[in-house]
Amino acid sequence: MSDNLENNMKRVFFTLILSCLFAVLAGCGNDQYAIEKQYWQAQKQAEKIFKNPHATPPRELERVVKLLNRFIEKHPKTNLALDAEFNIARLYIVKEEYDKARTQLRTILNKYAKSEAICSEAVFLIGNSYEIEDKWNLALEQYKKIMQVYPITLRGLDIPIYIAQHYKVKYQPDKMVSALEETIGHYRTLASRYPKSPLSLKAHTLVAECYIALKDWPNAISSFNTVIDNYKDKVKMDGILLDIAIIYNRELKDKVKTKETLEKLIKEYPKSQFVKTAQALLKELEKK
Amino acid sequence: MDSQKTGITSVKKVYNTTAKSLKENPALFVPFIIFAIFEFISLIIISLAPRMPLRLFFGPLIRTFWGERFLHYPLNFLLLPKLASLVRMGLTIIFGSLLTGMAVVIICDIYNKKPIKLGASFKSALKKYIYLFTVVFIFTLLFYILVKLVTIGLIKYFIAGHSRLLFLGAGVWMGPVLFVINFLLALLVQSAFIYAIPILIIEKEKLIKSIIKSFVLFKKLFIPTIILVGVPMLIYIPVLILQYNGSFLINRVFPEFVLFISILGIIIGSLVIDPIVTISTTVLYLMNKEK
Repeated sequence: MSDNLENNMKRVFFTLILSCLFAVLAGCGNDQYAIEKQYWQAQKQAEKIFKNPHATPPRELERVVKLLNRFIEKHPKTNLALDAEFNIARLYIVKEEYDKARTQLRTILNKYAKSEAICSEAVFLIGNSYEIEDKWNLALEQYKKIMQVYPITLRGLDIPIYIAQHYKVKYQPDKMVSALEETIGHYRTLASRYPKSPLSLKAHTLVAECYIALKDWPNAISSFNTVIDNYKDKVKMDGILLDIAIIYNRELKDKVKTKETLEKLIKEYPKSQFVKTAQALLKELEKK
Repeated sequence: MDSQKTGITSVKKVYNTTAKSLKENPALFVPFIIFAIFEFISLIIISLAPRMPLRLFFGPLIRTFWGERFLHYPLNFLLLPKLASLVRMGLTIIFGSLLTGMAVVIICDIYNKKPIKLGASFKSALKKYIYLFTVVFIFTLLFYILVKLVTIGLIKYFIAGHSRLLFLGAGVWMGPVLFVINFLLALLVQSAFIYAIPILIIEKEKLIKSIIKSFVLFKKLFIPTIILVGVPMLIYIPVLILQYNGSFLINRVFPEFVLFISILGIIIGSLVIDPIVTISTTVLYLMNKEK
């Protein structure tokens, strides 16, 4: 009986050792996880330069660039290779080697010419490199290129506002106003080119945000109303209704319209996360 | 004051007997070594979960419960201590219950100066497996529910907009205070159930009766039980602190360091704390029974 038990125990241990060996062997393959591990190690080296670029000797930069390039050569068709390509450019930028950075970014542009999203990011970084060098006109040229060539990418949608923000930060209100006006025109064109699409919804919302930046409250409200009229059946409009109510309340001091809008929000979206805020605002209005 | 002195004296006596038993009968370690091996193999398997072919099985589970990012290097190491703790819970219920029962039989034999027979001890425990399983299941589930209740309660309290609770902010409550509360809960729950297995095995009582008797004995031997269960558990605190700072270790040392900490956790937990707690409390139970 005890021999039997011993044999059974031996069998159990043998199975356990085999499964352990199998698990360890499973960890030796060159799968996606192994690629991620290799990239993380290269990325760690790059991080040291990002953290302290001025104290990094040029030889160290070249070593890390080589490391990243080797990774790209080894795993060319992975997302991490693309990330590595951009990181090389960013490394050159932080080390103020702008020409090398732009050459790297142009390589990305050629390599990934079919992907608009990737190209728009590469052009944006080229623009950034000029901006850091204090060459705004050259940067603006790149940013305008994104608006024209890659308008429906995420970067393409953001870039007009980015330009206006630049003028705001640099205390150039006239240029900011004209940039915002140009932006409004750009978004309206996009919205009309892709009617009733999610892109058109985004463009209309951005138009309203531009009017808010311009402090043109009636037009901001009218843009929001356009969004509500066109997309009410497809998307929840509770957030937009709250935005309109806030404009009526804070900027236009119109209590009646504020109340009407908040009541509309509560009535049409009783389960909305903004209902509590709307009710609190209504209470505040009644007190006044 | 007198009862406290008696308590501390009995703890000293229990530890002397425990040390002597371990020194003279290394076979006492066998159930704990077997459990540590199970735990180690499980840890290796879950540490390789994001890799092929194990990913085929673990991938959907991890993706559903914790998210895709924990299937990638190095974030998988952030999830490792949590997975290891869940696996330990499962292993404790399935195998730990049986092996603790086996250990109690061996301790009883040593205490009664009978020869140790590993096979026979295993069989004695196996006969009571359903009861052992249920006791450990109830105890583990109770601890898990209590920890979850406290954590969710605190989260809801701070999400509701309160910035402070008893003069302390959310960061302190969700960090060190919650850590201490969890530790105290583990100590209390484990102490309350600690005599249930010796009662099941030695007195051959039924399930519910042994749990109730364990509660009664815990109340009677409150101080020595808390010391015998709590003091060894303190050794585990550095491991918990290191595991709690997983992201720091990943960034400052290297991701695989988290795995080494988990292995250290197995060595300390299963080969140091578990034997000391199980043997000492069983010895205390036997000494108390003699009286």
